[in-house]
Amino acid sequence: MPAVQETIDQVREIDVDQYKYGFETLIEMDVAPKGLNEDIIRLISAKKSEPEWMLAWRLEAFERWKTMESPNWARVDYPPIDFQDIHYYAAPKSMSGPTSLDEVDPEILRTYEKLGIPLREQEILAGVVKPAAGEEDDGLLAAPSGSRVAVDAVFDSVSVATTFKKELEKAGVIFMPISEAIREHPELVKKYLGSVVPTSDNYFATLNSAVFTDGSFVYVPKGVRCPMELSTYFRINERNTGQFERTLIIADEGAYVSYLEGCTAPQRDENQLHAAVVELVAMDDAEIKYSTVQNWYPGDKQGKGGIYNFVTKRGDCRGKNSRISWTQVETGSAITWKYPSCILRGDNSRGEFYSIAVSNGRQQIDSGTKMIHLGKNTTSRIISKGISAGNSNNTYRGQVSANRRAANARNFTQCDSLLIGNDCGAHTVPYIEAKNATAQFEHEATTSKISDDQLFYCMQRGIPEEEAIALIVNGFVKDVIQQLPMEFAVEAQKLIGISLEGSVG
Amino acid sequence: MSVTELRPRTPAEAALVSLAEAAGTDEDARSAAIEALRREGLPHRRIEAWHYTDLRNLIGRRLGKATGLDAPAGSACDDDVLSPLVAGSTVVDLEAPEDTSAPDGVTITASNDLADWHESPNHLDRPLDTVRLVNAAFGARVAKVAVAANTAVAAPIELRDGIGARPHAAVAATVGTASKAVFVERIEGGGSPAPASRVSHLTIGDGATVLWIIDQAKDSDAAYLGQLNVNIGANATFKLFVLNAGGSLVRQEVHAVTAGEGSEILMRGVNLLQKDQHVDVTTTLRHTFPHTTATETFRNVVTGGHGVFQGMIKVAKDAQKTDAKMACNTLLLSEDGDFSAKPELEIFADDVQCGHGATAGAINADHLFYLMSRGIPAPQAKALLVKAFVDEMVEELEVEAAIADALTGKIDAWLDHSH
Repeated sequence: MPAVQETIDQVREIDVDQYKYGFETLIEMDVAPKGLNEDIIRLISAKKSEPEWMLAWRLEAFERWKTMESPNWARVDYPPIDFQDIHYYAAPKSMSGPTSLDEVDPEILRTYEKLGIPLREQEILAGVVKPAAGEEDDGLLAAPSGSRVAVDAVFDSVSVATTFKKELEKAGVIFMPISEAIREHPELVKKYLGSVVPTSDNYFATLNSAVFTDGSFVYVPKGVRCPMELSTYFRINERNTGQFERTLIIADEGAYVSYLEGCTAPQRDENQLHAAVVELVAMDDAEIKYSTVQNWYPGDKQGKGGIYNFVTKRGDCRGKNSRISWTQVETGSAITWKYPSCILRGDNSRGEFYSIAVSNGRQQIDSGTKMIHLGKNTTSRIISKGISAGNSNNTYRGQVSANRRAANARNFTQCDSLLIGNDCGAHTVPYIEAKNATAQFEHEATTSKISDDQLFYCMQRGIPEEEAIALIVNGFVKDVIQQLPMEFAVEAQKLIGISLEGSVG
Repeated sequence: MSVTELRPRTPAEAALVSLAEAAGTDEDARSAAIEALRREGLPHRRIEAWHYTDLRNLIGRRLGKATGLDAPAGSACDDDVLSPLVAGSTVVDLEAPEDTSAPDGVTITASNDLADWHESPNHLDRPLDTVRLVNAAFGARVAKVAVAANTAVAAPIELRDGIGARPHAAVAATVGTASKAVFVERIEGGGSPAPASRVSHLTIGDGATVLWIIDQAKDSDAAYLGQLNVNIGANATFKLFVLNAGGSLVRQEVHAVTAGEGSEILMRGVNLLQKDQHVDVTTTLRHTFPHTTATETFRNVVTGGHGVFQGMIKVAKDAQKTDAKMACNTLLLSEDGDFSAKPELEIFADDVQCGHGATAGAINADHLFYLMSRGIPAPQAKALLVKAFVDEMVEELEVEAAIADALTGKIDAWLDHSH
């Protein structure tokens, strides 16, 4: 029974033509002319009122980018991108740098409301902490009672609003658009920007370094446990734009922060490029938890339109006993090219990667992680679950390597794939490099349909077949769902269409 | 990267081409292959299939210090000294295959054909295949071995290089319907500046059973590129054993494809690595018909050097009910060695069971403790565990005692020598 009805239904719910964030917000936009050249970079830099060093940094990256070639090793197939046919800057016209939510175009706020991001509500609640129940307001990011999420929302090229800023400031946490951080905290940005993903890192990261427009900046000072979840919501609205956001998160000694990221875009026939760079730095004893629910527009059934999601995400466990954990739920984008990685530099540091990648229609996903063990006693864990349906291709590509000095490095990798239907592909490409005799690596991958044994086990205990299948599919992704913060688990659940009910434990 | 792009030749590539040109008087027949080698150059680490074996660089280093190697060395096996791996084998000198006294039902003939280098096993991301190209450019001629239908060949057929000849050989072996045969690729000999090579094609008829052993024990200064291509008929059984216990730079490829339903594939291998060696085993297994079964396990013992395993299982859309498992286990016994593994799955059918596992690590401390607590000193206990680790590969082959003993004998010799 290769085509399990229950699973097919669940996946179909999030099939490409069911995309529900495909609406467009019609507001006046301030758009830079198409094309990529020094002038555009100068324009972006000027729009953001950047200091000279930032512009120099961008221009250097651009010079380098011009000498680079687009990578072709991933198992994705797309026509060459015309980088001159993209707007590199688009901002809602009504505001260039809002100081409070009141200055934000109500049309944008409505957009975020539709997306379920309660910017205004949260602002109102700020400081009036009600641990009461009954906050079942709107949708996806609605937190369980008492818990709050600080949101930075990025609309095309500008950050439109950051909530809970004041309360965060009290704790000493800096959470603001990166364009603002460049102006207000240049010493921090200068010190850390490009220190994890250098400008020369790869084709799309270098492009991002030249033209990035906005994104979030987080600095959690020594010993501070960030009092709430931080969140960014990215939205591509304008036609023919590329979104190039840059996120930089620093957890100083002993700090802790949990960061959530969500993405959507309108339905369009053209492909749009999203080339982001995310850098995480964890110092001694610090911990960063980064969760993504990626739901960019995946294109229609025939593969027309959709976002090219070419993202470089990397965390640097710079200090001793530091810890970085990536959790991702990938359901959107026409093409995903994304490898959230951990450089385990500090002794005893730990990297984790949990991923659910669901591909459908004509989607192509080539995603995975890199765990680079450099320090002693470093450990890493990779759990990847791929579900392919329709005519899609879903590839896990991951690298685990232990440096000569990485004594007692330890990795466990498990990547499982589930195929639904006979027109899709599931692929696994792990690279395992052990250069230290005390390193211990274990890698396991399986590709299968639902096992008859599991089904039999459930059914002989009186569970009807359909329910048993649902139970097993839930179990298939449970390891990853469990890693998501509550707020995102709800959204992820909807996105994957697989209920967690009955799979508690 | 565009595969047809012209890039400047490195000195190593130019040197290899000149070596090919000088590799015999039959340059005319080889000229097209030499020209293609000149045009394609050597693969490097950005060519995915050669990611861990940067041939351009490795051969460059080799030719750079090749002053002691430039005599086209008497590389091949010396029949007087070398007894067959399994006693009683039919030994085929690939330089003069027609001289073999073939057993009943087996025809062994020489040919003047170069191994075909125009086609590439499909997974390689270059239009032309490097191993085949080197093999043809250096003038290997195809020796043909045919086993008739319904014939059980009792003695193994051992294929070895000729005496003192150029160390490049090619084999086309066919095994008829419902026949049985055992082949041993014997790869021995010393270094020559250019890598030695062997390209074999094996076609297994429906219902036939073939055991193919690759016994590579080149001298410690030798470079070797080997390739085995296998076509497996319906309900046929293909067993493979690869033993790498020598050479300084070795790449052994195995490309197998099913040509009918119900075939069974069992691949086992042992790579024994010491200091300064680079040994790469790259396999692809293509399931193109339903109901085929495959298990593939490689065990590696690394006391130094660089080891590489790249394995790929491909399951085509129509190959429903494929059951394929692949494993690569590595014991790292020294700080000087490293091992890289890339076990890939590429699956287009939804009703299959496929999996792969890879492990790397030191000797299990619990196992060691168990033995030592019973009075076995640490060195012996370690040796015992290493031996058990690799001998298991031979056991799983389930072949007759003479063959199993010959293989474990070779492994033991290496272990005794290295510990």
